[in-house]
Amino acid sequence: MIRYLLFILRRERLMTPIWIASLLAASIGIAIAFQQLFATPEDMRVMAETLANPAMQALIGPTYGIDSLTPAMLMAQELLIFMIITVAIFNIFLVIRHTRTDEEQGRLEMLRALPIGRLTNPAATLLFAFKANLAITLAIALGLIATNMDGMQVCGAFIYAGSIGASGFLFASIALLMAQLFSTSRGALSGSFALMGVFYIARAFGDMSGNILSYISPMGLGLRVYSFYDNIAWPILVLFVQAIIIGGIALLVCRNRDLGEGIIPASKGRRHASRFLQTPFGLAWNLSKGNFLAWTIGLFALGATYGAVIGDIAEFVQTNEMFQTLLGLGQGDLITYQVVESFISMILVVMAMVAAIPVVIIANKIRSEEKQGRIEPIFARAIRRRSLLATYTIIAAFGSAWFIFITALGLYAGGANTGLLNFSNIVHIALFYVPAILVMLGMAVFLVGFLPKLTSLVWVIFGYSFLTVYFGSLLGLPEWMDRLSPFGYHPDLEASGFVTMPFIVLSTTAIALILMGFQAYRSRDLVG
Amino acid sequence: MASVIEVKNLTKQFGKFKALSGVDLAVEKGEVMAFLGPNGAGKTTTIRVLLGILRASSGSVKVFGKDAWDHAVELHKRIAFVPGDVNLWPNLTGGEVIDLFTSFQGGKHSGERHRERFIKMFNLDPTKKCRTYSKGNRQKVALISALASNAELFILDEPTSGLDPLMLKTFEDCILELKKEGKSVLLSSHILGEVDKLADHVTIIREGRVVKTGSMTEIKKAAHGKSLEDVFLSEYEDQK
Ligand SMILES: Nc1ncnc2c1ncn2[C@@H]1O[C@H](COP(=O)(O)OP(=O)(O)OP(=O)(O)O)[C@@H](O)[C@H]1O
Ligand SMILES: [Mg+2]
Repeated sequence: MIRYLLFILRRERLMTPIWIASLLAASIGIAIAFQQLFATPEDMRVMAETLANPAMQALIGPTYGIDSLTPAMLMAQELLIFMIITVAIFNIFLVIRHTRTDEEQGRLEMLRALPIGRLTNPAATLLFAFKANLAITLAIALGLIATNMDGMQVCGAFIYAGSIGASGFLFASIALLMAQLFSTSRGALSGSFALMGVFYIARAFGDMSGNILSYISPMGLGLRVYSFYDNIAWPILVLFVQAIIIGGIALLVCRNRDLGEGIIPASKGRRHASRFLQTPFGLAWNLSKGNFLAWTIGLFALGATYGAVIGDIAEFVQTNEMFQTLLGLGQGDLITYQVVESFISMILVVMAMVAAIPVVIIANKIRSEEKQGRIEPIFARAIRRRSLLATYTIIAAFGSAWFIFITALGLYAGGANTGLLNFSNIVHIALFYVPAILVMLGMAVFLVGFLPKLTSLVWVIFGYSFLTVYFGSLLGLPEWMDRLSPFGYHPDLEASGFVTMPFIVLSTTAIALILMGFQAYRSRDLVG
Repeated sequence: MASVIEVKNLTKQFGKFKALSGVDLAVEKGEVMAFLGPNGAGKTTTIRVLLGILRASSGSVKVFGKDAWDHAVELHKRIAFVPGDVNLWPNLTGGEVIDLFTSFQGGKHSGERHRERFIKMFNLDPTKKCRTYSKGNRQKVALISALASNAELFILDEPTSGLDPLMLKTFEDCILELKKEGKSVLLSSHILGEVDKLADHVTIIREGRVVKTGSMTEIKKAAHGKSLEDVFLSEYEDQK
């Protein structure tokens, strides 16, 4: 067991430390920024007012402590959910990399032929995940204490970091269970992320209407620690116990199954490839359609969740004078309409970024196929590189419009009963972000062509865009930083024309990136 | 003394599909048993059951007199395994993987001398990352790890796939050496030349059943001067 842990450690000598260091750096950096932003109680009160509405609660969770605000408390309220999501992603990839991926690739078979227990691999992986989460907890807690920002408490820092660590560990257990249920690493990854999405949406509904869903969803539970205010510890304990139970179930399942098998059986396929599958386009579509379907459902649900908030917002605005003055608006229905409209634009930027994720995944698929050595046999036939890359690009480009449209549709479906939504307006705003998504696609294609080993750089751009869009105005970042991200351009709601300057610039950039990517892809080596 | 491997009436069911239906197999100490059969016959499946990686649906599977599933960990201290399709961790070097396997095997570190000797024999550069190895070189990593261990039973599933003729010769020498040391080998292979040189006994399976088993001399005698290849081909082709 100890040997196996060391073995995992050796394979993780780069990845895990990088994650932990980035989490630590981000925590400290944001803490310092918050300290500077909220120098006076007035600043904090304004921020707290902005947060205390159903829409924000659906996005980030409960707000608290209006009576005794501190920068630390505001930071915890705004950041915790994103820290939990980030750490969950880290854990899901970590666990599946060491379990189902190894098994799928046949490496585990060789290990299992050695005097190693049947459960050593899953148990050691879980133990490693536990230690990594413990390290994350300690790093964040100590890092935050070291910043000594206003409102920092030793206890609060450990509660805050503990919620992150415990949630991470729970997702490690969930991923381990998924690795037993699905016979492919892709299946296990999709299963884990789908569950994460369900937890997030359940929490959003719960937090909006203050019901039990917030406690049933582990993501909601993690937010119930109210760090730097009430500092409640029991949710951490519950998360930890849930993690142990789910991990135990995963080990039980593993003990009783054959190597290589899942519990969800792989179905028998057709004898012949359909006409369609025999074309490169058909093959690419076949490899992406699962992704397409899953994201379509997920984004529709996410859109509908936010749509459902709209009624609450309207009510909130109407009953909250403070909020009205804050926004500097007049009275009456007009404000409600304006607030709803600006809420929709805000939500749609975030949604556009989320909708870009499957687009980039599909574009990167050609690279992951290459890594697995499955592209070579295709190029050995009479198929041009350009046309193969084109098939993936076309599917992804179609996705650029499709996914954001579906999200907008969900948004409308969720909020139609309030009578406050104008369908063509929503679609108008949504489609404005298509060029931005296309730029992300362009980046992906560009990297596939020029830097095939660094295709994951595109996710760095995602992270950057997210930070600037979400925290840009909050942290007072200069406008040019916002403009560096494709999602930093917003539609002018008053203007009637659709084709505005940013629309043209972004589209041109996207096309240029794609063309360059194609050119490079034609003439580079295929690398494993 | 009990046989090293003793499989009786083994069946293995994958859902509705019956991959093995009543396989018998016995390997004695100090002998090389060739395990042959057409693609999809069930060789790899049998081997996985022997390694306690798959669970037998019914039948008895004993290695060194002990149940292969229940005593897997204990048994694996005495077994070395080489699969036909070796996939390694892309960011570890060949040398690291060999050390890793040896250390998991729990063998004393007297293996060091052995290890260097085999690395030289197989002409492997152990400082390269596994992602850069060719297929044959990946295969060598697994072979060296197995040969450098002090296992008593070697289970080899098409161990030479991808090796060049020179390395094939080296491999054969190594197996003959093992035989001299009194170790037992179960060798699944499609390369009849290799089988001809190494095997004492042969078992042929087809569609999950044993269709022929016996010593090499018996089989050759019964073939009346026909080449080994003809004998096997007639066994393989009967199914049509
Ligand atoms: N996990 C599994 N699920 C379903 N069927 C399986 C599974 N593993 C193997 N089989 C089937 O069992 C049969 C025997 O496969 P096995 O791999 O043992 O053949 P083999 O004799 O090793 O063939 P080869 O010479 O090609 O290596 C095949 O028909 C195969 O499709
Ligand atoms: Mg086989």
